Amino acid sequence: MAVSAPQQNVVGDAVASLAYEALEISKSFGGAKALDGVSVDFRPGEIHTLVGENGAGKSTLLRVMSGIYERDGGELRLGGESLERLTPREAQHRGIYLVPQEPTLMPHLSALENLFVGIIPRGRLPFTVDWKRMRESAGDYFAQLGLAIDPRQRAETLSIAQQQQLECARALVHNCSVIFFDEPTSPLTAHEAEMLFALMRRLRERNFTLGFISHRLDEVLELSDRITVLRDARVVATMDAADASRELLVNEMVGHQVTIQRRHARAAQSDDVALSVQQLQREGEFHNISFEVHRGEVLGLAGLVGSGRTEIAETIFGLRHAEAGRITLEGHQLVRHSPRSCIDRGLIYLSEDRGRNGIFADVQLPENVSSAIVPRLPRLRGLLNRRVEQRLAGEAMERTQVRALRRDVPIRSLSGGNQQKALFARWLLAEPKVAIFDEPTRGVDVGAKADIYALIDGLARDGVAIIVISSELEELTWICDRVIAVYEGHVTGELSGEQITVAALGRLIVEEGGA
Amino acid sequence: MTTAPSPSPLLSARPAGVGQRSARRTLSRLLAMRELQLVLVTVVIFAITTAHASTFISAGNISFLLADAMAVAVIAVGQTIVVLTRGIDLSVAPILGTAALAVGFLAQNHNLTPLEGLPLALAIGAAMGLGNGFMVALAGIPPIIATLGSLAIYSGVQAIVAHSQEVVTLPPAYFNLGNGDAINGIPYLALIGAGVAIAFALILWRTRFGRSIYAVGNNAEAARRAGINVSRVTVSSYVLCGALAGLGGLIFLAHVGSADSTTGTDSNIQLTAIAATLIGGTTLTGGKGGVIGSFLAAIFLEVALAALVEFRLNPIWEPAGVGVMILLAVLADPTTGRPSLRSALRMLLQSQRART
Repeated sequence: MAVSAPQQNVVGDAVASLAYEALEISKSFGGAKALDGVSVDFRPGEIHTLVGENGAGKSTLLRVMSGIYERDGGELRLGGESLERLTPREAQHRGIYLVPQEPTLMPHLSALENLFVGIIPRGRLPFTVDWKRMRESAGDYFAQLGLAIDPRQRAETLSIAQQQQLECARALVHNCSVIFFDEPTSPLTAHEAEMLFALMRRLRERNFTLGFISHRLDEVLELSDRITVLRDARVVATMDAADASRELLVNEMVGHQVTIQRRHARAAQSDDVALSVQQLQREGEFHNISFEVHRGEVLGLAGLVGSGRTEIAETIFGLRHAEAGRITLEGHQLVRHSPRSCIDRGLIYLSEDRGRNGIFADVQLPENVSSAIVPRLPRLRGLLNRRVEQRLAGEAMERTQVRALRRDVPIRSLSGGNQQKALFARWLLAEPKVAIFDEPTRGVDVGAKADIYALIDGLARDGVAIIVISSELEELTWICDRVIAVYEGHVTGELSGEQITVAALGRLIVEEGGA
Repeated sequence: MTTAPSPSPLLSARPAGVGQRSARRTLSRLLAMRELQLVLVTVVIFAITTAHASTFISAGNISFLLADAMAVAVIAVGQTIVVLTRGIDLSVAPILGTAALAVGFLAQNHNLTPLEGLPLALAIGAAMGLGNGFMVALAGIPPIIATLGSLAIYSGVQAIVAHSQEVVTLPPAYFNLGNGDAINGIPYLALIGAGVAIAFALILWRTRFGRSIYAVGNNAEAARRAGINVSRVTVSSYVLCGALAGLGGLIFLAHVGSADSTTGTDSNIQLTAIAATLIGGTTLTGGKGGVIGSFLAAIFLEVALAALVEFRLNPIWEPAGVGVMILLAVLADPTTGRPSLRSALRMLLQSQRART
């Protein structure tokens, strides 16, 4: 492509950046509102941060503003000019760039090629590439942004942090002046995050318009000029960072309506330990994890994405192998265990990523539900008894209230909430004694959520020991008898009964409570 | 009741028209079944060709066509199992050839009967399939690369087994098996092929192993998390595919009556078997399809190509014809998630309009 070659003088100088406003933006996904009349303005020379719980609409807003999602309603205004239909290409053309959470570079191309992809300068002869010019200007960009990246290196060999830096450089090469960062720091170490912040501050000095999403409130307060809090698809507050405090942000994020939900009280739990984990350890993931779950108890595992909570659960279920520590299920120590042996002993794990780790998309509903207990099904002359299978799967789906017009359809045709209920049916059929539910209500609608809470409560009343992993702190306050919080791979605290509040949890999962 | 965060009977609404399942909808569902489509198309081809050349429908011709299709049909059944796990086996031709040669030499020189040859053919095929399975499941080599390698290696093995010799004279039992009729118009081979297809249809649909095949092909990680031993299932699928290719070798030997160092590879039988698998409705992305479709597709291909001959088309057109049929079959599948012709056309028109 022979688009104008990158202008080198952009780097270093202040850019003539434009304010970018979202006005009353709304966006729904299959009936669920992700954005409901959201207005946010991003100004030049300012870092404006969006905070909110998972599903509050932060990422959706940035994706709408960078043309990845088409908005259902509302207006986008760049430098006062209203933007009609915005495609990713159009957005980039107008200087809007989104650095995604997981960098989307082309792994087998060099850093250099990734940087210039789409606007590779043409050489003197047709069909040739002006490598020299590319190398020189890339060197300029890297030097002025303070990046230590070898342009010849293949993108896949770069660290995540370097890949993000490369994405920033790409935004500059493409003459973008509005740059959004969607939760860039969650995969980074503290030191790497600092480097990214330094880069962002440099861009701010040059009058770039910057948007940022983060769950780490400390860094939000440190870096931002203004902060907007989203909750349930709406803006609940916009404030100057100088006026903000962690307390205030947490309150706004979770809302003051915490009391709508009555904590249910279950009868005192038994003292029978169903699952005990002692000093479990995996290098780089978690260390010295110890806890017990009793029969009939719902134990919450609170933590941010990347805190090690899923890794702990997967280790218990035999998907990863512990380097040290002991797992005891109903008095029996698990050694060299696999998912199969766990299921057979009554330990089940509902994975957090339904699409990737849960459903068999093209397989019909009953077979999806029965898939974990096929070895237990009765046989007639070596062949599975389909009638019994259909009946068992049907009963389980009734218990979990899967709503489907027909049973003989592939599971992919169901809504997210009903897929999740079908997976609950799968694990109920396995008759668990200990159940681990990882993000049990992610991506399901309100009604299905209520059904799932009721299911979890019912299982606990039947004496099943339950571990619930969730990023939604409110959810944990509703359904858990006890919660342990993990932060960067270690337990930072434990709360039980009335102590379990969103504020207390919120402090623990960012380690303020101290280990 | 317990903890409902917001008591909302949101989900009581139901789409209108539930229970109005008309006969027409049932019919259209049936017609969407690949197996039925294949039967209908095969019958139509038969009718048209018979109108042109009346001997086409004779018992003798039907018997010949069925027997002639069975080597491919049996191999296609095995191929389908592998494709269902999201794999592919390019090495079936030399597996067939090696099994045919080994059994053939023993029959020619030591009067081995077909029944004695059967376990040998199966064992050779299974062993070669095991090699493929190990490469894919344990060494983690992508199936297409692993079996491209073994295609070459096993072709070498076949040449070594042949040792520049050919199988030319076989005991009459082989000729009877390969070309005789059980009932008028129904050859022995068709019974064997149909038996294999039905047996594997049952295995796939109604055994733990079969369920695991679909689960692994759909979503290997989810399968692992549902307690399925993914490597074992994968290895087993290649072993079965190999064993069925071995059986295909025995069938080929009996039907053709000879074998040499290039049997199988020279007729590109692995590609025909893959074609039958795809035409039969199994998707290369795994987890969807079945062996009955592949079996019927093998017969369909045989009939269609024989019809071309009846219409005196130059056999040069045969490979191109197979290719066209594969593409038509994939296009005719409404469930592939690929944009339909109509929607593609609509998009094209829209972009034209946007430009003006």
